[in-house]
Amino acid sequence: MSATLALSSAGRRTPDMLRAIALPITLLVAWQLWAMTLPDDTRAPSPASVVAAFVRLCASGNLPISLAQSFGRVLVGFAIGLVLGVSLGTLMGASRAVRRNIEPIIESFRPIAPMAVLPIAILWFGTGTPAGLSIVGYAAFFPMLLSTAQGVSRTDRNLVQAARTMGVSRFRILAKVIVPAALPSILLGARLGMGVAWTAIIAAELAVGAKSGGGSSGGIGQMMFIFYSYSIDMNGIVVCMIVVGVVALFIDRLFRIAERHLIPWRQ
Amino acid sequence: MSDTMTRPKLRLDHVTKEFAAPRTGLRTVAVSDVSLEIQAGDFVCIVGPSGCGKTTVMNMIAGLDKPSSGTIEIDGAPITGPGADRGVMFQDYALFPWLTVRDNIGFGLRNGTPGRGMAANDVEERISKHIELVRLGGAETKYPHQISGGMRQRVALARLLANGPDVLLMDEPLGALDAQTRLILQAELLRIWGETAPREERKTAVFITHDIAEAVFLSDSVVVMSSHPGRIRAVLPIDLPRPRDEHVRAHPRFAQLSEEIWELIRDEAYRAIA
Repeated sequence: MSATLALSSAGRRTPDMLRAIALPITLLVAWQLWAMTLPDDTRAPSPASVVAAFVRLCASGNLPISLAQSFGRVLVGFAIGLVLGVSLGTLMGASRAVRRNIEPIIESFRPIAPMAVLPIAILWFGTGTPAGLSIVGYAAFFPMLLSTAQGVSRTDRNLVQAARTMGVSRFRILAKVIVPAALPSILLGARLGMGVAWTAIIAAELAVGAKSGGGSSGGIGQMMFIFYSYSIDMNGIVVCMIVVGVVALFIDRLFRIAERHLIPWRQ
Repeated sequence: MSDTMTRPKLRLDHVTKEFAAPRTGLRTVAVSDVSLEIQAGDFVCIVGPSGCGKTTVMNMIAGLDKPSSGTIEIDGAPITGPGADRGVMFQDYALFPWLTVRDNIGFGLRNGTPGRGMAANDVEERISKHIELVRLGGAETKYPHQISGGMRQRVALARLLANGPDVLLMDEPLGALDAQTRLILQAELLRIWGETAPREERKTAVFITHDIAEAVFLSDSVVVMSSHPGRIRAVLPIDLPRPRDEHVRAHPRFAQLSEEIWELIRDEAYRAIA
């Protein structure tokens, strides 16, 4: 049964993939041809020169190191946002009183983009990692908070009542009924939060790079800033953009796989 | 001794329940002045049209709702909240979708008061015993969404019984099943309740249904309720011999009792669809 399914989907996959990559390849070829018509001294990037820049940046270690720096900040900032967002979200979802008190505050902060918080973050924490972490944490906090609160408040009331009739304590009900019931929402919030966290760190590093004049705070964003304001390296900037996009896609896929494994009861 | 002989297991004394609509504050009377005594070891069915407050009565006995006035007692003590001495089987079974059949059945034993003071081995053994009791061997590692409605119903029943409650409260547990499965499970329910055991060993059961034949087949007595507001219309003792099997459905008394109950709710049932 599963073997025939796998076969039929594999048989369909090849033409599907061809169709999916046909347009990108056409665009790449067109881009390369167009770049070749330009005079040699233009700074316009071409696919070939971008690949060359990618190889150069990898070989020098600049790209892997910057990537690791940015990624490390995202992970730590995300973890902070996760802990705060999920715990406060659980409280908000479980208690109407808490929700009534917190919601106005949350809703007035939510439209303030992470970048708009950056000036204060820099004044408080300087231009180093702590400023980056606070921006990432701030960005990741909201989707996780709201998604968790919604998941918790939508927990099937019958399940909670069933647990009560089995003599289960309130705390255990929270841990054994409400959190598992809200897990799909929590994971969705985590995936969205991770997405905005990654976007936020690049923007924060770019801006911090501007503030510290290409100092030593590092990260992909700052690398882009250096290419932009010092070496005027368009190819390097494009490499950074592509890497940021690919990493974002990779993170998203990872979360989807994790969701499938953590929620086996959901088909 | 004589005290426990005469004292009912459950006693509802002039119980009224009003609900206030959240925004308008409009009050509706769900249950009005219900008095009822249920003896230990009795199987009692509550029948009545939709909206007659059957579920509200059960929720109050379970301790999930509080009466607006009147008292409810178990063994002479007032009910103040939910407790594992009164097990509930919900209309939609309320199985935890993220737990397997085995973990669902063991939920109360592992997390609630029923398993308190029990060794882990004994808990697992008790779970296995109840999986066997409802004949779910082989399905233990499945999730609720992977099994049939009839199996889910048996998981809920096993979970209810594994917690060892004194009183079984069941809210239309067979309502979602097809007619054949329903007949088979009614007989199975009587077997598990302890129909063949001596009276002292039977549980006390309160069973909500709107199927008259089901009520007659299962009960020692049938409580007929009417709606708007929910009141007790009559309490009929079911004097059919036990143990009951399929043949009891052909008994002339079975038809007679069904007819009597139908007489009591017919007018309201017709009015409800008119």
